[in-house]
Amino acid sequence: MAFETGRSPAVQITQRQRWSIAFSYMLILGGLLLGVNQRDGLLNQTSVYTNNSAGITASYPARWLLDESEETVFRVRDMSHLGFNTTIEVRSLPVGADGAERNLLDHLSLQRSQVFIDYSVLGYDTFLLPDDTQAISMTYTFVSRDASPFLEGVSSIVNGLDILAIRRGQALIVSFRAESSIYQRELETFHRFIENLEF
Amino acid sequence: MHTQVFRTVAPVALALLLFLALTSSFAQGGFERSLERVKRATVFVYQAETDGNNLIVTCISTGTLISADGLIITKANGVVPSQRCSGDTLFISLNVDLEEPPIPKYRADILNADAGLDIALIRIARELDGRLIAQGELPVLPFVALGDSNGVSIDDNLVVVGYPDIGNEPVAFSRGTVTAFLAEPLTGSRTWFKTRAEIPGAMAGGGAYNTAGELIGIPTNAPLAGSAAASNCRYLNDTNNDGLVNSSDRCVPTGDFISTIRPIALAQHLIRGARLGLRVELTAATGDAGPRRALPSVSRVFIAPSVRDAMPSTVVGSLPSNTRNLYLFFDYNNFSAETVYELRVTRDGIPDSTFSLPPVHWSGGERGLWYIGAREQAWANGAYEFTLLVNGAGAGNQKMIIGGAAQDRAHFSDIVFGTLDQAGNLIGNGSIVPLGNIAYARFLHANMAVGTPWSAIWYYAGTEFARTSDAWSEDAFGSKVISVDPAGGLLPGEYRLELYVDGALSATSDFYVAGQQGSPLPRVFSNLRFTSAESLPEARLGSAATSYPSSIPALVALFDWQRIIAGTPWTASWLVDDQEFFRYSQPWLGQETGSDFALFLPNPPDGNYELKLLVNDLLLLEQSAVVGIGQLPIDRFAEFQGTILTGKVVDAATQQGIPSLTIVLVSEDYDASEFVWNQEQVVALATTDRNGEFQFARPLAFDTPYSVVIEAEGYIPNFADVFDFDANQLGADITIEMVRG
Repeated sequence: MAFETGRSPAVQITQRQRWSIAFSYMLILGGLLLGVNQRDGLLNQTSVYTNNSAGITASYPARWLLDESEETVFRVRDMSHLGFNTTIEVRSLPVGADGAERNLLDHLSLQRSQVFIDYSVLGYDTFLLPDDTQAISMTYTFVSRDASPFLEGVSSIVNGLDILAIRRGQALIVSFRAESSIYQRELETFHRFIENLEF
Repeated sequence: MHTQVFRTVAPVALALLLFLALTSSFAQGGFERSLERVKRATVFVYQAETDGNNLIVTCISTGTLISADGLIITKANGVVPSQRCSGDTLFISLNVDLEEPPIPKYRADILNADAGLDIALIRIARELDGRLIAQGELPVLPFVALGDSNGVSIDDNLVVVGYPDIGNEPVAFSRGTVTAFLAEPLTGSRTWFKTRAEIPGAMAGGGAYNTAGELIGIPTNAPLAGSAAASNCRYLNDTNNDGLVNSSDRCVPTGDFISTIRPIALAQHLIRGARLGLRVELTAATGDAGPRRALPSVSRVFIAPSVRDAMPSTVVGSLPSNTRNLYLFFDYNNFSAETVYELRVTRDGIPDSTFSLPPVHWSGGERGLWYIGAREQAWANGAYEFTLLVNGAGAGNQKMIIGGAAQDRAHFSDIVFGTLDQAGNLIGNGSIVPLGNIAYARFLHANMAVGTPWSAIWYYAGTEFARTSDAWSEDAFGSKVISVDPAGGLLPGEYRLELYVDGALSATSDFYVAGQQGSPLPRVFSNLRFTSAESLPEARLGSAATSYPSSIPALVALFDWQRIIAGTPWTASWLVDDQEFFRYSQPWLGQETGSDFALFLPNPPDGNYELKLLVNDLLLLEQSAVVGIGQLPIDRFAEFQGTILTGKVVDAATQQGIPSLTIVLVSEDYDASEFVWNQEQVVALATTDRNGEFQFARPLAFDTPYSVVIEAEGYIPNFADVFDFDANQLGADITIEMVRG
């Protein structure tokens, strides 16, 4: 017994079908582009913060918790992150005639060493602000842990970056803190914040 | 048959009924409901010192949280650095799991302490690693309510809560009843509560609670020095660095079983000062008492049936049946807060634990007349022997018989001192006489037959300077005034009069000569005024006023003094809004006359302040000043009520807890849909632990609608329903499910 083999005849599609297929591909591509665009829009969506008395205007990521406490001009935190909430904080400090930028950062370090676990300064550098003026930056690290004594709190290693600039007798300190595992990724958010910061 | 069954069953049923009655009184009083909270508020305190790289535990105590912001009451002996407990760092272990030993979590600072009362107030101030806890960063901690120890009666039930061992056992409690009140001069008839509850020594500093679960007292003891010879001493550290922990090392004293409780009322001024953060500094030179070299001693032990102004009314050698008041008096010398004294009472040779006082720290001055006794409590008939021990060694004793009918014996009583007015009447307060030439004493006499020999002996600073002896020639009953006019007049200082009938001491009393003649009281203190200043020199130059604005740097009280000799007992009592927050009661140490003695009160909150100056417990001068609105700010922490919200956040698919997730509790003024991620809308934040469990750090108001908002990476945002807590719902535990998306 033998079997015959052979090729089925080629399927012929019409011109209309060709256009339909092409249109479908374009529709999918368009949808993808729109989705990416929407996602970027959502991710980069910002809210505007204005403080006339401090002379500060800033754009911060939408859906971050805004906090205007007595100690800071303002602070925003990403409450959706599982772990240490990525934080951007703006503080304003008076500067004495003899106070240098480095003195202020060292003073901050001394204060933080009293309340942060394993606080350690990693280094100092210069930082170019969007208006091409130069500021000083300080990177540091510490451990964050939930304070409740009745829970088994999870500790997080946090990296921080302070940028300090002195204008009109006032030091403006912009601080960025994020869990070390996502620090580099979140740093982009901080750079966007700095680019849009007006003071 | 029925009678036999009845005889068998009736006692059992009666005992059962009694047991039920006793236990139900706790349940009805709500103590069972409060017990968990009481246990959670009970902390374990380590006092430690650093020796090179070693941390050595020097003493241990139980303590109790009495405010949500970490204020702890405990025994002073055990936390305040002393010879016995030399450590300078306090570690606080919290009761995280009620079935497990406590876990070290924080460090604490001493705010207020009274070594004599053996009560200290400490506050959690640092993390375990020594980092400061920023203001407002300490989570709300469980705490207990303070009760009214003056409302306690004999046979009232109480529960003592504490840690029975050296930190390796879970919190425990012991039930008992109040068996007696013991009285000492400082605080009237309720200096101590006695109980037969079995209280291990390590529970000292913990809490004694009434049936409503309110703190009414602090069990205290005075364990012997931490040496190998001491009883109930535990070896925890290799203190001599020989590589072994054994009896050659210094041990941690825990003490014997406790049967004495300090009523919480005696600590109210310490608590108030600590709560308000008020610390008074005595900045004027007060002299130096100098090193104490002589050993403490006791003399002239006698018994009195009643007390008047801390002095015996009369002296007795026996008392009749149905005696309800008895006080043992004795002179003491070279005592200090480090001195441990003890009273052992036997009746017919059998120890009487009800009226015995186990070893406790001395709460009086350096020398003087002291008493310990009981008022309005039944003393059974029998032959009593009272033995005083000082630092573990016998120091004095007295015997007496109680029983039989009352005897109409000749006696003197109720001596008071003063001066005579122009009409020849004795005037004055009874215990302080101004400088002059003559001091008068009036006393009562009873059953005195004509011809009975009697005598009066006067002492100045412990030395006899005048004596009169005579045969009685007056009425059998009545009062008599005698006087003394020492050569050179009355010098300032301590005086004593002893009256004898037929050679036996019948009445005695002490008084002080101080200050100039005044009307009606001697002028010992004067020119009491308030100023506001940052330093003492500035205060002395400042002008006095009675009203100050809020936020002054310090309120300073200044006064002058005249003719008060070193050793005279005086007291400065400072009140705010009619409540005492500071009491300094010591022998005068300064010069005889001077000006501008200053009491410095930094950063006083708004309130109505009043300073009272007393000598020998007699109010001589007072002055008040108003700061700000003249009323203390409301202490919301002390009065807060609400629900502690705890719970767990789980993955809906796996039911596993989600760690490190932030929960936002939205204010009752907003719906979850109105939440725009502004802190002003947030009541509180909580973060889940590694098991997904969370606890909001502040209590939530009753009958108030709250919303919960959670946004977490990898999960669909959760805008939870409104939460509403009924009144008196002290805790709520919720579970929130998160759906992946």
